Amino acid sequence: SYGYPSMQPTYGQGPAALTDASPAHNPYGQPPYQQYSQPFPNLSQLSAALGGLSGVPELEVEALSPINLMQERCLLPPRPLEAPEPNLSPDLKKVNCHPQTFRSTLTSIPQTQALLNKARLPLGLLLHPFRDLQQLPVITSNTIVRCRSCRTYINPFVTFLDQRRWKCNLCYRVNDVPDEFMYNPVTRSYGEPHKRPEVQNATVEFIASSDYMLRPPQPAAYLFVLDVSHNAVESGYLKYFCESLMDNMDKLPGDTRTRVGFVTFDNTIHFYNLQEGLSQPQMLVVSDIDDVFIPSHDSLMVNLKESKELVKDLLTSLPGMFSQSRETHSALGPALQAAFKLMSPTGGRVTVFQTQLPTLGAGSLQSREDPNQRSSSKGVQHLGPATDFYKKFALDCSGQQIGVDLFLLSSQYTDLASLGCMSKYSAGSIFYYPSFHYIQNPAQLEKFQKDLERYISRKIGFEAVMRIRCTKGLSIHTFHGNFFVRSTDLLSLANVNPDSAFAVQMSIEDSLADSSLACFQAALLYTSSKGKRRIRVHTLCLPVVNQLSDVYAGADVQAITCLLANMAIDRAITSSLSDARDALTNAVVDLVTAYKSNVSNMQQSGLVVPTSMCLFPIYILALLKQKALRTGTCTRLDERVFAMCEFKTQPLQQLMRMVHPDLYRLDKLSDQGVLHLNDTVVPQPHLLHLSAENLSRDGVFLMDCGNVFYLWIGKNCNEMFIRDVLGCPNYASIPPNMNHIPELETPLSERVRAFLDWLQDNRAFSSMMLVVKDDASAKATFFPYLVEDRSESGSSYHEFLEHIQQQMSK
Amino acid sequence: MTTYQEFIQQNEDRDGVRFSWNLWPSSRLEATRLVVPVSCLFTPLKERPDLPPVQYEPVLCSRANCKAVLNPLCQVDFRAKIWACNFCFQRNPFPPSYAGISEVNQPAELMPQFSTIEYIVQRGAVAPLIFLYVVDTCLEEEDLQALKESLQMSLSLLPPNALVGLITFGRMVQVHELSCEGIAKSYVFRGTKDLSSKQIQEMLGLTKSPATGQQGRPSAPQDAEAICRFLQPVHRVDMNLTDLLGELQRDPWPVPQGKRPLRSTGVALTVAVGLLEGTYPNTGARVMLFIGGPPTQGPGMVVGDELKTPIRSWHDIQKDNARHLKKATKYYEAMSNRSAVNGHCIDIYACALDQTGLLEMKCLSNFTGGHIVMGDSFNTSLFKQTFQRVFSKDYNGDFRMAFGGVLEVKTSREVKVCGTIGPCVSLNAKGSCVSENEMGIGGTSQWKVCGLNPSTTLGIFFEVVNQHNAPVPQGGRGVIQFVTQYQHSNTQRRIRVSTIARNWADAQSQIQHIESSFDQEAAAVLMARLGVFRAESEEGPDVLRWLDRQLIRLCQKFGQFNKDDPTSFKLSESLSLYPQFMFHLRRSPFLQVFNNSPDESSYYRHHFVRQDLTQSLIMVQPILYSYSFHGPPEPVLLDSSSILPDRILLMDTFFQLVIFHGETIAQWRKAGYQEMAEYENFKQLLLAPLDDAQEILQTRFPMPRYIETEHQGSQARFLLSKVNPSQTHNNSYAWGQETGAPILTDDVSLQVFMDHLKKLAVSSST
Ligand SMILES: [Zn+2]
Ligand SMILES: [Zn+2]
Repeated sequence: SYGYPSMQPTYGQGPAALTDASPAHNPYGQPPYQQYSQPFPNLSQLSAALGGLSGVPELEVEALSPINLMQERCLLPPRPLEAPEPNLSPDLKKVNCHPQTFRSTLTSIPQTQALLNKARLPLGLLLHPFRDLQQLPVITSNTIVRCRSCRTYINPFVTFLDQRRWKCNLCYRVNDVPDEFMYNPVTRSYGEPHKRPEVQNATVEFIASSDYMLRPPQPAAYLFVLDVSHNAVESGYLKYFCESLMDNMDKLPGDTRTRVGFVTFDNTIHFYNLQEGLSQPQMLVVSDIDDVFIPSHDSLMVNLKESKELVKDLLTSLPGMFSQSRETHSALGPALQAAFKLMSPTGGRVTVFQTQLPTLGAGSLQSREDPNQRSSSKGVQHLGPATDFYKKFALDCSGQQIGVDLFLLSSQYTDLASLGCMSKYSAGSIFYYPSFHYIQNPAQLEKFQKDLERYISRKIGFEAVMRIRCTKGLSIHTFHGNFFVRSTDLLSLANVNPDSAFAVQMSIEDSLADSSLACFQAALLYTSSKGKRRIRVHTLCLPVVNQLSDVYAGADVQAITCLLANMAIDRAITSSLSDARDALTNAVVDLVTAYKSNVSNMQQSGLVVPTSMCLFPIYILALLKQKALRTGTCTRLDERVFAMCEFKTQPLQQLMRMVHPDLYRLDKLSDQGVLHLNDTVVPQPHLLHLSAENLSRDGVFLMDCGNVFYLWIGKNCNEMFIRDVLGCPNYASIPPNMNHIPELETPLSERVRAFLDWLQDNRAFSSMMLVVKDDASAKATFFPYLVEDRSESGSSYHEFLEHIQQQMSK
Repeated sequence: MTTYQEFIQQNEDRDGVRFSWNLWPSSRLEATRLVVPVSCLFTPLKERPDLPPVQYEPVLCSRANCKAVLNPLCQVDFRAKIWACNFCFQRNPFPPSYAGISEVNQPAELMPQFSTIEYIVQRGAVAPLIFLYVVDTCLEEEDLQALKESLQMSLSLLPPNALVGLITFGRMVQVHELSCEGIAKSYVFRGTKDLSSKQIQEMLGLTKSPATGQQGRPSAPQDAEAICRFLQPVHRVDMNLTDLLGELQRDPWPVPQGKRPLRSTGVALTVAVGLLEGTYPNTGARVMLFIGGPPTQGPGMVVGDELKTPIRSWHDIQKDNARHLKKATKYYEAMSNRSAVNGHCIDIYACALDQTGLLEMKCLSNFTGGHIVMGDSFNTSLFKQTFQRVFSKDYNGDFRMAFGGVLEVKTSREVKVCGTIGPCVSLNAKGSCVSENEMGIGGTSQWKVCGLNPSTTLGIFFEVVNQHNAPVPQGGRGVIQFVTQYQHSNTQRRIRVSTIARNWADAQSQIQHIESSFDQEAAAVLMARLGVFRAESEEGPDVLRWLDRQLIRLCQKFGQFNKDDPTSFKLSESLSLYPQFMFHLRRSPFLQVFNNSPDESSYYRHHFVRQDLTQSLIMVQPILYSYSFHGPPEPVLLDSSSILPDRILLMDTFFQLVIFHGETIAQWRKAGYQEMAEYENFKQLLLAPLDDAQEILQTRFPMPRYIETEHQGSQARFLLSKVNPSQTHNNSYAWGQETGAPILTDDVSLQVFMDHLKKLAVSSST
């Protein structure tokens, strides 16, 4: 039965009665703010105004219908969950920013902080601002039209008062329309400013003029800093790195000015003179690691086009040069100092490959991991950095427009908590390959190779800043991701890449009562690899609501989960892991309590949540069992820290698959709902709940964990599947560590591969494939993801719900 | 009976020695009264094609503090197989291998003609020679190119088994690995940071650093493979090194307007010295430093990089206005001493128009027996040929260079050694032979001469210690033994022993004999060395006064005159030339600094204190030949009266060869007579001095500057500044026509000098 909640929220009923531990609990409370109301004579504005008001579309009703979790067990949709659509007019929906780019935890923005507090849900944005786009309107014009007061870029959600005036949708200032804007380059007509691409697209990119430059755009500059110690040589990565760079060199984003350089290090730092005209590269060794200096002028970062042959020579020689090295020490810190000096004049990207704990010079580290303490009840120590060296280094880099990316390939503890800071504060990326070995770990090697290919060829922006503006009344208070915060709404991004995401926590400082819409604009100003200054602008428009039920109806459970995860990571590092875990559990308790007392009129026992949030407890339970936040199992410190880093930077979709993988049965692919893409038939199996209940020994199951696919083969699996898909005669002959699905020309194989390829599509980094047999090995890899079952790392879903219930009654 | 001249010549030919006195005054007092000390010029490795080395080890006196080598002057009891040491009189049995000796079967070292003998020592591992090039890259493109070519060429001149290494420097210092394939590799050092030898070795990966080595253990033994990276046999890496040199670029760091390039000579040398010290101590090695300008940064800097601040001049030094002088000198001296201790010699090849800091750096070569070569550019034949000549070979096809020499002087009881002046350092070997009275580098009986060649000549000064009233020692001869251990260029360890005896004479009764035994050439050079040695630490005028006083005293002692009657003054033949030598010495660049830069002075002095007697005399008193139609070429007085219109002059100052055409000759030449068949004789006349000059140019090391000039030519000053100004602008009008060229100078002429000398010598008041 669908019932619209009758009980109205009362302002007096504050959060005081609830436990204070939840990270969702927001202490900000603002008095209602009355603003003069504005007439909006514009058509789009009118419909938008309607969108936010009383008309309750079906979707919302459905989203709001209460679900008793104690009774309802089948909560998963058949296909992976989509982002909820904001309750806007169709016109606005059509132009609104794509949810993969810009997503709010609440697609209906509460009018006041009080209302938000009452909802017990966090308000925030998830951004993926530089993601690869199929289509992007690029605008070249002399004047980029912006609000004179708040500098908002003109966007689809502004109001044209008449042909010559537009009103800012963030601060409401009335601005003049410049002459140039009267002309529409797309239609080549005059007098239709509202048809300009800027006003037709929520995501646009401007070619910026020199006003947007502090200095002439620098050439794309790439410096590779490579560990060549004995350990690195043993791991075998160097050869594959060199091969990969050689193969993909032409895909490295840039133009004729592109510059590259290489630094290698063990107990000393090695530079490479690649000056055009030399007959061979020259290696310059600097042993004075306590006082690192640049050993040559102007020949260590070279023009790639001019020195390509030398670069190739170097990449050919490098792996062999150190093959006999017995040097076990690592002067990473000094190597980074050298990189900083090399890159300071231009800024650019530094890519660091490291295979062990740095042991010499500045930034050297000691092992802080005690394997015996991994499952200790004392809590997890050393989640924060051991030294501020890497943070300081990153901040220095950021100041010089240098982004630092880290590839950590290590079989032992390498203190990612400390090393990771080099990327965290310089807007870099972190890649981690635990137990990397080119022979012993072919799956990791393959992933490394594929990641490198993506990494080398992916788009990049330099010397970037991102500013987030929002409708007057809203304010940003915390950012998540890898960056340097320059001011309250401005992030410094020395590099920006298409695979990194950001999260933003917000509060409502002033009532939004005078507007029915709230808007958010992210503007990313960067230098392209071709030396152009560009601004990518995303604008998101959401309705403002004054009913708690509307807030719930628009809740985006995935966005909320991701934002809460980010907040929990911070909590784990600054406070403790158990605090962070408690806060997550409390978020569920708070939601259920708040919903029960404010919206649901059902007095029944059990756990009742709005449909929009029905997966919330599962997701939170999954989070609690995720590597980053779990307890009780042997989680290596670096792997935990890496998972934490991932939470901070991965785009939502990817993150959700890591938290709560998609489980499918593959041996019984039906024709139901298949997609026809070109000539390929892509089956669409249903999602299964993450419980062993759903597995059966005669089946084959695929678990999509985002960066890894597990293919679990039941013991009694149909031999045809094994033969036709895996290419093995029988179950027993499936090799251990199988990490490929062979390209067999059987109908079954083709279908399975079509589905896998389809899953793989649109993922920046390809996922590893691991075939898991129904034996002991699965226990460590596959089963921990079955989050609804009780495991070493926590209770079952049912137990969890019971726990929530207990907490509520306290 | 041979004349003293013949005797001197014989001795020089056989033993490489020239003594100031060939009869020795038998008491300390008489010896001091002779003014010129008993001293000698000794050329330890004088070429002796007629002296094949013996293939055994010398027999030593068994007395621990003597260890003199068996020599022809020893008394031998052939029956008892015992020999008496002629230094300490210890009676020593012959070693068993000498069991067969008898009067008719004597070993070479007992035969008088083997007063100088060379032994080949078989013990110890054979160490290859090492050549470490240290190359400045802050050069003009043309200079660098020329230098690269010279260096590449030199690889073919090195002994094939020699180890070779390369360090380059500019703002940074690079030590190049030579064994790399596919990629050139070098270790880079900051040019501003002084490093200890240990740090350098750690940074080059030659020893494990303390951080990497195991706690509490001494650093790991030298890793032969690690050393090989920097020093490789030339036959193995010559291709590599040729390529490496070919790729060598000018220092890449930009030099702003108004600045000098930053040149880290100091650190480059520290690294070179540290590398060799750590890898091949006590092995013959030659560090060859090539510089095109002064050190401008880091330890050892001589001048800052601001061009508006010029490099120090003598004037600055006298005004105590040379900021970096003391510190830099101290730095290079410390390094020179270290290098000398390890037996490694350092050459400096400085080619630049301005000074390069030789004043501060000279000790590198002076202490270690290395060469200093100074030129305007590496792209000159002066440098190119000089450099080639470093690798010249002797009659046996061996390189004319030896390494790691240790010269020990042993004296019989009546004599002690006061010191030496030459390219060496003291080894601080005290003992009964050592005089307390130091002259030159004293206080020791052993000196290290890291780099030697057949002409390397040391001045060695002695003191007679016999008391005045004691009788002339029995046996009548004083004995000195020179024992020179060294590494031959063919890597053999060798010992050359020269045992020299001179008769004692009673100075009171035999003063004429002593006088006639005076070797005025040797004495002049030896006194000049003392003067130059003093000039390094004393003010110029003081040195000149000292020299004058010595000369006057000598003239008073040996001159024949009536008191206070200068016209009566006469000197015997054996001293007749000596005052003239002193006159020219006073005017020479070794003592007169004001027409020279400090670098030039250092350069001239460097060569002066190491050349043999003949070359040294040329330096003191240049040789002048005159060519005319009147007869064959003839040596003429180094005097302005020799400059005549119809003559061609050839002057050899050692450092310069000047061909000067007299006024008429120059006119004829301009008129082109030499081109005309009927004036073939004129053509021949023009060619004659050129041929003679070529002969000198072929052999001289370093190559002299070659100058062709003429009457009133701009370069005529080279000649005019050397000749005795017998006619000056002050007096020439009083003299007739056609008798010479007046010189624009205020210098005193030889005539005036002699007049003064005579006056002072005969004066009863002095
Ligand atoms: Zn505005
Ligand atoms: Zn003796």
